[in-house]
Amino acid sequence: MKRNTWILGLLAIVVAIMLVAPRFVKHRPKTSFSVDAKGQAAPEFVLKDINGQQVKLSDFRGKAVVLNFWATWCPPCKTEIPWFEDLAEKYKDQGLQVVGVALDDASDEDIAKFAREMKMNYPVLLGKEETSDLYGGVQMLPTTFYIDRNGKITDHVLGLVSRKEIEENAVKALNTKTEVPASEARAPKLEKEKAR
Amino acid sequence: MRKPALIVFLLLMAAVAFAQDGPPSVSFQSATPVVVAPGRTSQVTMVFKVGDGFHINSNKPLDELLVPTEVKLSPPTEIMISRINYPAGQKLSFPFSPDTQLSVYSGEFKVTAAVRAAQNMPAGTFRVHGDLKFQACTDRQCFPPKKIPMQFDVKVEKAKRSRRG
Repeated sequence: MKRNTWILGLLAIVVAIMLVAPRFVKHRPKTSFSVDAKGQAAPEFVLKDINGQQVKLSDFRGKAVVLNFWATWCPPCKTEIPWFEDLAEKYKDQGLQVVGVALDDASDEDIAKFAREMKMNYPVLLGKEETSDLYGGVQMLPTTFYIDRNGKITDHVLGLVSRKEIEENAVKALNTKTEVPASEARAPKLEKEKAR
Repeated sequence: MRKPALIVFLLLMAAVAFAQDGPPSVSFQSATPVVVAPGRTSQVTMVFKVGDGFHINSNKPLDELLVPTEVKLSPPTEIMISRINYPAGQKLSFPFSPDTQLSVYSGEFKVTAAVRAAQNMPAGTFRVHGDLKFQACTDRQCFPPKKIPMQFDVKVEKAKRSRRG
């Protein structure tokens, strides 16, 4: 009787390991990127944009980057997009670059159509699972990384936050001291009246 | 004697919960027992539960870009599934877009379908496998479309002999 219990127990443990193991093997992002991304170097990627052009993160070297992962099926993402458009326009002369990465099941054409309809005035890239993996496995949308002019992540925000918080994070990324000489690196000030 | 078995059971349950991919936003609860005679049609009701704090799009979301909730069933060849019927979604607005209404399910919802057994079907119990595809959000964030498995059994009765006068 006792022997049967232990055999049963052993069997249960084996089944448990079989259930748990795929979580660590199959879905583990292929990156050393940790969940607490602050201070880490933003991983380089090369993706096509909605116009078919290849875009690298390093193309924006010397600029502060707001890297926003979104999808067409994500209503909170849709809420944020006009805020990013305003941000891109307001801080472009001070060296801010907004970049959208679509992590989507929709076709490339539908993503492009969505971007046109939303009047997205910043690069919209067609994301891949590997891109998500590079950034620690983007499990929920929207997810936004704020990257300073030196390519270091200053903030990592999951989910929708207020327009004010988005602007504060972008300004923080712009104001972070950089090792890269950038003639346009004027310290921007948060225009509080517009941020509300 | 009972203690090791209990520990093993708890360990197994913890492993099953931990092995789920992503948040446990939707679960398959149950399906009504289906008993059908060959050549006849019965109905199954499948019950799902959306976790607290989550909502998923209804089968007819109000925006074409949103992912509709869908049940896909793969019955054995002699069982036909038709008329999959979804409940109407609740029309709600959320803090992320207060001016827009979405058609969603939250809490418990039921999907029904007609189940027909072929005329020549032998008596027995047959399992129908399937999955529920959905895309879940909270008030602040959304999760990629996901499928969860589900199943129910169809008991096919013995064919009744027709009486001859």
